[in-house]
Order: sequence, then C-alpha cells, then structure tokens
Amino acid sequence: METEEMAGDVDHTFDLEKKKYDAEENVKIICLGDSAVGKSKLMERFLMDEYRPQQMSTYALTLYKHTTTLGNKKVLVDFWDTAGQERFQSMHPSYYHNAHACIMVFDVQRKITYKNLSNWFKELREYRPEIPCCVVANKIDADLKITQRSFNFAKKHGLPFYFVSAADGTNVVKMFREMINRALEYKQNPSDFMDEVMQELENFDLEKKEENSDEDGLKAENLELV
Amino acid sequence: MRFEAKRCGVRFNPPSIVLVYVNTETKKLRKRVIPIRNFTKLSDCCMAAEQLKEHPRHRDYLEAVSQGQLEKLHILLQDHLRGLSLKHSLSTFHLDPDEDLNKLDDKELARKKAQMDREFERNRKHKDDPGFVYDLEVDFEKAPQENCSWDESDDGF
Repeated sequence: METEEMAGDVDHTFDLEKKKYDAEENVKIICLGDSAVGKSKLMERFLMDEYRPQQMSTYALTLYKHTTTLGNKKVLVDFWDTAGQERFQSMHPSYYHNAHACIMVFDVQRKITYKNLSNWFKELREYRPEIPCCVVANKIDADLKITQRSFNFAKKHGLPFYFVSAADGTNVVKMFREMINRALEYKQNPSDFMDEVMQELENFDLEKKEENSDEDGLKAENLELV
Repeated sequence: MRFEAKRCGVRFNPPSIVLVYVNTETKKLRKRVIPIRNFTKLSDCCMAAEQLKEHPRHRDYLEAVSQGQLEKLHILLQDHLRGLSLKHSLSTFHLDPDEDLNKLDDKELARKKAQMDREFERNRKHKDDPGFVYDLEVDFEKAPQENCSWDESDDGF
C-alpha cells in the first residue's frame, strides 16, 4: 500500500515537472561524472538526515529533494543523480531538460574520470549552453597533496572549482550552497531562454513590428476608457 | 577464543574454503577444509558467507574471520564456476587507477565500490564524532599550486 502511494507520488512529480520548475522557488540541479566518483556520497554528506533518495528505475536516475531558505524565501531544490546511467557515457535528454545548474564530479585518484569531464561538459553544453556549472575534485581525503595542484579544465572553461571530500566533509556544504544560489540566479535571469527570445525577435519582419505598435495603440485607448 | 585463524583460502575442486588455524589449547597448527555445498553461479555470496559464519560446525573456527572475507572467498569460488580465471577474479578486488569503471558490469562495479567504501569509511567523519563540523570549509587557494600532470599531453582537453 505504502509503496503504491510512493510510486503515485513519483509519477505526480513528473507530471507536474514543468509547472513546478516555472515557480520561482524551485530549482533543478543535475550531477554529472563517471561511475564511482562519489556523486551519491556527496549528496548524502550534504543532505545528512534529510537524505532520502527516490530511485526512479524507469528513468535510471535518483532524485533527492531538499528544502532550504535563502533570505526569507523558501527554496525547493531537486537534485538529480545518474543512478548508473553514466555507464553509457551519455545521459538521456530528459536528464538535462529544465536544469538550472550542473555539478560535475571527478575522483582525484583516477585520471580517467578527470579526462572524461570534457565529454560530460560537451554533452551538457549541447542541451544547456548557459546554465551555471562547476567542477568538483572529490576524495581529497585520500591524498591531501593533490590540493597543491591546479587542474586546468575548470580554468579553461571559466568554471568554479572545488576540492572536496565526501568522507570528511571538506567544502561539500559550501559547494552545494553556492550552486543552489547560482541555480536560483540563473532561474531569475535565464540566459538560455533569453537567447531564444532574442532569436525570435530578430526573425520578426517590419510588418509584425507595425502590428505591435497597433497593439500598443489599442492598449492606450483602453487605458483612456478606464 | 579456542581457534586462532591464521590464513584462509579456497580450493576449487571440490569447492571448499580452507582455513589454517592454531588451536590455542594445544598450540598446534591445523588445517580445516570446509566443503561449500549447494553453491552455484547464481547463489548469493553475501548470504552464503553469513550462513557459513553461523554454521554450528564451523562457526567456532571462523570466529576471527570476518564475514566480508568469507564473502570474498565465496566470490572467488563463484567466479571459477562462471569460468573466470583466478587472475581476472582477483583483479576485480584490486583498484586500478587507470581502469575505466564505466565499462564494468553491475557485479564488478559493486566490488570496486566496496573497495572504495573501505577507504571512505576509514576517513569518514560522522555526525556524532567530536569536533564534527557540518559546513567544514578549507581554503586551498593559498597553497602553492603546481600544474597537474594530468593536464599534460592533452588532446585538446
């Protein structure tokens, strides 16, 4: 009975997805990175007692819901985690759909996970050319000396970079809080959407502009009537 | 503890777990071969290990052997039944930093993750630990920065 209800909730969430993300206080943040870089461990460390993942096996993703307050505004954050889908070296387009920020993770003990960042970043930018993104170097607890190195990938793409450890907690909360802020900022000023609008506007011809001005005239008349 | 386990291993034919131990009363070094019965390619290694650990005839001997180790021995036996070489089987327990884990199947990935979890648990700070700080921040910007060799020889990376 309980599982049925839960399943119902999940479907409901998906149905309302579009509407929900249009509300100002809801953001979607996605995680990207290779298998076993510690994406879920990072979520777990940030959410602590709040950690209650919803496994959506049909979608091959894990969803974590988080509520926080910024200023006096309540913000609902949906974190999306890959749940093994990363094995295909690519994510389903719905994973990127309507995302407001992206956290890219690699494992400082495995070079290949760092090298693969460029593939993840490329795919991200195909779907979401402008959303805020950061690079997270995880597992620094295993080798603190690594923090004396600079990793060029983030710098090259102008992305914020964090040395973190999901095990001892170093910089995990800082990184998540900053990304939630950036996701909100992006949502309030979505440059991807603005790009589309600009393109639409450029396609307008002169006639349409005239129609627009007529409309303005009409509005003015109405105003006078009131 | 009447039996002090020294070493353990497997014998493939017939499938058995071999335990070398010292009888603390007689101080004698002994070997015990435990046949693993009704065990197939599809058996649950974790459960099999648990059952063996609790087995009335063997549990006293296995007191000092962790369930994790017994599980690993069962996995080695099972891999053999699945036709995998011992070398390959052992390599799945070893972390190779250059291996692309995206390419592994669920079972093998789970083994690698189990290895990583051990390292994770070693360094883990728990909420109840003294001095635990939820939003621990460390600024690494001040540290002298050398370029990482991972950025060398890069193919337009």
